[in-house]
Amino acid sequence: MSARLLIWPLFPALAMAQATPGPPFSPEGIQFFETAVRPTLHSQCSQCHNDRLRTSGLSVASRQGLLEGGNRGPAIAPGNPGGSLLLSAVRHAGALQMPAGGKLAETAVVAIERWIEIGAPWPEAAAEGRGRPARQHWAFEAISRPEPPRLAEGEWAESPIDRFVLARLRSAGLRPSPPASRETLIRRLYLDLAGVLPTPGEVSAFAEDGRPDAYQRLVERVLASPHYGERWGRHWLDMARYADSNGYNADGERQIWMYRDWVIDALNRDLPFDRFVVEQLAGDLLPNPSRQQLVATGFHRNTLLNLEGGVDFEQYRVESVVDRVDVTGIAFLGLSLGCARCHDHKFDPISQREFYEFFAFFNNIDELSGDFNNQEGRARAFEPVLEFGTEDQYRRRDAIRAQLEVMKREQAAYQESLLERQPEWESGLSPDQIAALPLGVRRILRTAPEERLTQRAGVLRNAFLAQDLGVQERRKAIAAVTALLPEIPRTLVMRELPVARPTHVLVQGDFLRKGEPVRPATPAVLPPMEIDNPTRLDLARWLVDRRNPLTPRVTVNRVWQRYFGAGIVATSNDFGSQGEAPSHPGLLDWLAADFVDSGWSMKRLHRRIVTSATYRQQSLHRDDLAEADPQNRLLGRQNRLRVESEIVRDLALSASGLLAGRIGGPSVFPAQPPGVMIRKPWPESKGANRYRRGMYTHFWRTSPHPGLMLFDSPDALTIATRRGRSTTPLQALTLLNDTGFHEFAQGLALRLRAETQGRDIADRATHAFRICLGRDPSAPELQGLVSLAAGQLDEFTTHPERAGKALTLSVPDDADRPELAAWTAVGSVLLNLDEFITRE
Amino acid sequence: MTHRQQQLLGATRRHFLGDCFVGLGSVALGGLLAESAAQAAPSVQPPNPLAPRPPHFTAKAKRVVYLFMSGAPSQFETWLWRPKLRELDGQETPDSFLDGKRFAFMERFTEQRPKLLGPQRDFRQHGQSGAWVSDVFPHMASIVDEMAFVHSLHTENFNHAPAKLFFNTGSTRYGRPSMGSWITYGLGSEASDLPAFVVLRSGEQNLMGGANIWGSGFLPTAYQGVEFLRTSDPIPNLSTPRGFSRRQQRARVEAVRELNQARLEAVGDPEIATRIAAYELAYRMQSSGPELMDLASESQSTLDLYGAVPGESSFANNCLVARRLLERGTRFVQLYHTGWDHHGNRVNNLADKLDEVALEVDRASAALVTDLRQRGLLEDTLVVWGGEFGRTPMGEIQELPGRNHHIENFPMWFAGAGIKAGQTVGEVDDLGFFITKDPVEVHDVQATILHLLGLDHTRLTFRHQGREFRLTDIGGRVIRQLLA
Repeated sequence: MSARLLIWPLFPALAMAQATPGPPFSPEGIQFFETAVRPTLHSQCSQCHNDRLRTSGLSVASRQGLLEGGNRGPAIAPGNPGGSLLLSAVRHAGALQMPAGGKLAETAVVAIERWIEIGAPWPEAAAEGRGRPARQHWAFEAISRPEPPRLAEGEWAESPIDRFVLARLRSAGLRPSPPASRETLIRRLYLDLAGVLPTPGEVSAFAEDGRPDAYQRLVERVLASPHYGERWGRHWLDMARYADSNGYNADGERQIWMYRDWVIDALNRDLPFDRFVVEQLAGDLLPNPSRQQLVATGFHRNTLLNLEGGVDFEQYRVESVVDRVDVTGIAFLGLSLGCARCHDHKFDPISQREFYEFFAFFNNIDELSGDFNNQEGRARAFEPVLEFGTEDQYRRRDAIRAQLEVMKREQAAYQESLLERQPEWESGLSPDQIAALPLGVRRILRTAPEERLTQRAGVLRNAFLAQDLGVQERRKAIAAVTALLPEIPRTLVMRELPVARPTHVLVQGDFLRKGEPVRPATPAVLPPMEIDNPTRLDLARWLVDRRNPLTPRVTVNRVWQRYFGAGIVATSNDFGSQGEAPSHPGLLDWLAADFVDSGWSMKRLHRRIVTSATYRQQSLHRDDLAEADPQNRLLGRQNRLRVESEIVRDLALSASGLLAGRIGGPSVFPAQPPGVMIRKPWPESKGANRYRRGMYTHFWRTSPHPGLMLFDSPDALTIATRRGRSTTPLQALTLLNDTGFHEFAQGLALRLRAETQGRDIADRATHAFRICLGRDPSAPELQGLVSLAAGQLDEFTTHPERAGKALTLSVPDDADRPELAAWTAVGSVLLNLDEFITRE
Repeated sequence: MTHRQQQLLGATRRHFLGDCFVGLGSVALGGLLAESAAQAAPSVQPPNPLAPRPPHFTAKAKRVVYLFMSGAPSQFETWLWRPKLRELDGQETPDSFLDGKRFAFMERFTEQRPKLLGPQRDFRQHGQSGAWVSDVFPHMASIVDEMAFVHSLHTENFNHAPAKLFFNTGSTRYGRPSMGSWITYGLGSEASDLPAFVVLRSGEQNLMGGANIWGSGFLPTAYQGVEFLRTSDPIPNLSTPRGFSRRQQRARVEAVRELNQARLEAVGDPEIATRIAAYELAYRMQSSGPELMDLASESQSTLDLYGAVPGESSFANNCLVARRLLERGTRFVQLYHTGWDHHGNRVNNLADKLDEVALEVDRASAALVTDLRQRGLLEDTLVVWGGEFGRTPMGEIQELPGRNHHIENFPMWFAGAGIKAGQTVGEVDDLGFFITKDPVEVHDVQATILHLLGLDHTRLTFRHQGREFRLTDIGGRVIRQLLA
């Protein structure tokens, strides 16, 4: 059976399009082209047949190009596949057989045939040429503020959000799910807004709160918690590709945690999102910026830094600027601008020239200009930085630097005075002394002095100096004084060059191949900026200008996806033509408009969503929904979501009672399996810093903590708008056996001992269940835990020495060790449950 | 259309897709392409992402072991004999070779013009094929008739991290899935007690590029490489916490299973079933892992063949572990050994450091091929050996003899399944600057490895950010000459 037979009944819209070949094309026809044909043309044909090369006169970059064809005549005859050279070439039906590298997959050939048959639909903007808006693409249109659908009184739908959702469910013949229980709801809210567990006391207080606004009160309380800034700050840091190291080969350490703390603080004080954006992108260009506004500009200093020997720093500076364009495009506009780095964007109306016009906004940072291939250069490679020392620290540093200056001058003079004795030293070396020298020095000594290259002479001079006691003493003294330099906290920030770097189109994206010069500008498809010589500050303000429809849509969509597992636009990183259309376009626009009209308040947006009936539904599986809407795009229920890597840790920490509440500060080094860090320091934290939230774990880009990566943390190399949610055996091994989680389970056992003194085993198991899962166990669940506890206790009582080994935390002197070890096992089982690491 | 498989997966495993979630908007189109989907891509059986899947066509190779020589071995001291270069040792490099070319550490060139550096080792011909091999590799030289050489590789970037990314992921930029991930995605896993894609590292220097070079990129994380660490506990957290007996551990795992099962029945989320299965494999790995790593169970003659010593961390041990993994169903084993970046300083040079690293690698590389041959595994196992680029015919102006990075030509070798052994593909000019015949690209190597596994590199695709991605990006040709 051919694919064609399948197509007809499934796609009546295509059949309509076929009846009238030529424009205007149906959306279905366009989508068919975009999905089934354009990728083939792009990947298989356009390497040779593009507008630039036009091999054999043909370009497949536009419909017009195919109609005009090449040296052999027109490539397509819309509506007539049999008369189209393109089809006979890819079918290998005649003398011309394409592509040259081998025949296309049959499916691709059939798709091309089909496409020609229905009139070769091609989106308008691309057909008409570059630089003109793709008028028909929904994401570029202004935000309307649609009226929520009207529904009869007294229905499920309580808020405008619910009216949109219910109307859509109804049209599909579906009904929503009932509200989740109070126990589920409070745990859901704590996990989503704060990332820590509610205590059993908080759960029961909420479950028994009879006031009509009990839930609203709860929402306000959690939103006011400083943990809110941590929880949502970490989501933002995914966008900022925040890390504590430089990436690439050397992957040295960097200090930028103050930027992380700025994000947490900004969210906690509900800094309006438009200012949140402007301060991060261009805080340094604001009039009289505060120091905190400068710290905010760390957002775009989270780029990688390649300090590998021998690199061309200009190349990696350009890479950083490209990354800033990528991140800005995806984070605020939902557009993969980076695709236009080497060529015009294949799918969206962004030309290569426009990419470099956008690039020009970020090309002017005062960074990486000069030579860094030496030790002093390396130190400067981080600039610009902002320091946070005390007056006293600066004074001490100045004094020590001055002292070092004097010492180094004296050392240089001393060494100079020694050099005349070098020939004497060389000729006087005994065979034993020579044998003790490094191989390189030995080789040089075998060469006659006049034949030695300058650099090799330097090696010999160093060897000579190194054996002199006076030199050794001076070096030691200098090292000792250097060690006294105060450690002054600092953070990477932005600073504009006084004179702008000229920006050029880079041919094929190659930093050495400069094309035509360009000036800063925004893509033509988006609302105009209308400013002469715009700056980075103008760009930031333009991103949050009321006329820009993308930033609010993209932002509310990303917030939505954290609550429901998928956005209203499922491709939260792509609002372009290859992205997915919104499942609820009216709702998306309503949320976006409400967000902007409310003064860009993030807390208000969260409140809107979490108080909706849509959010508060049960997440239970329903056969009817699984059948009609398997991916639950219509939200007939909530989704169960495995929590993020950091939150897996945070939940276990909060169950254990060990969680250190400190917010912010330098990153910490919690326990990790031995052997992962091979070339990186990991000074394992002791005391409270061992039990900090996951987001404070020091992040080495080339060697991240396995506990983070196994649970799908992004790699911080570039923006991540969404995380994966894998389920793997290595996760199971981590939760079962990892040192950290074993400590958390012990903490939980100690907490149970303190909170259930003198109560029986069933009471204690019930309490453990409440701490971890926020609900009472069912009878079989309780029975399972009780018999586990009994079995473990039995073994540890028989083998008390093993109980001693199992307990690695310090325990009270009067504690019953076998009992604590047994409850450690019970606690660990609870921390391993799917339900424990899932937001129901 | 892998797109369609993604939808199938998405329907049963909601969150499996991460960033590549495909929703209702394209379901209708998915239906349109249903049949083509079935033809064009490996059929994924939900819900297990690692279920074995048939290849596109009959495979020559069932498994691959890739010995990656990190740092870029010098071709002039290993596989490429250039007598002319020895003749011109110490002479100025002809202008025609330098004009318009860029090299790493460029600024040093302007201080002092680098001179040609003759081969630092002697070469001899070996085997029936008469292949030239330098004296640093006596063991590999003895099995040249098992190998097919390519002398005409070239690549795009002369810095280690990007060049290594290119070999491992098909792109010089971060974010793409590694070759092992693509293969696991395409073919699933044959190993019930062990991961399908394993990474083993050795050598004292920084690997450069880090975990990203065996990451799953935008593919689901179920396909990422599992790194066995260089410790007594090579799979992280494989050991039960101290004090707990095996029976107690079983009781814990059993309790987790029962409670998860109860939850599955209460809420009906199939993801819980996946987690239950993951715990079962984890528990099995607690036994299979130590058994796998127990090299003392190998005969003394096998240990001697490799130069492996139980309990040590070395390339030789890793080669032996690789064979044991391949025997147990692991499909792709990626080894990395560092120490090849021979610039001419004390740590990295062609004087003594070359011999050290050659000693670490030579015997075990040859032993792996020999051992696989003896066990009848070489027929359907592909062995690949090579670095990320080559080194310059000029020497560096340094303390010791050494060479700079060179991307215009470098060699690799292949052995085993589907390979026509005893030949050399490609030629290079007399001084070893440029390729003169049959250039081979990195994407071609990747296309060829996939081909031998029965996968068409143009059809093994994944939809991400609106387009179909593949390992070979928009390039890649199968190296036909290499095939038996």
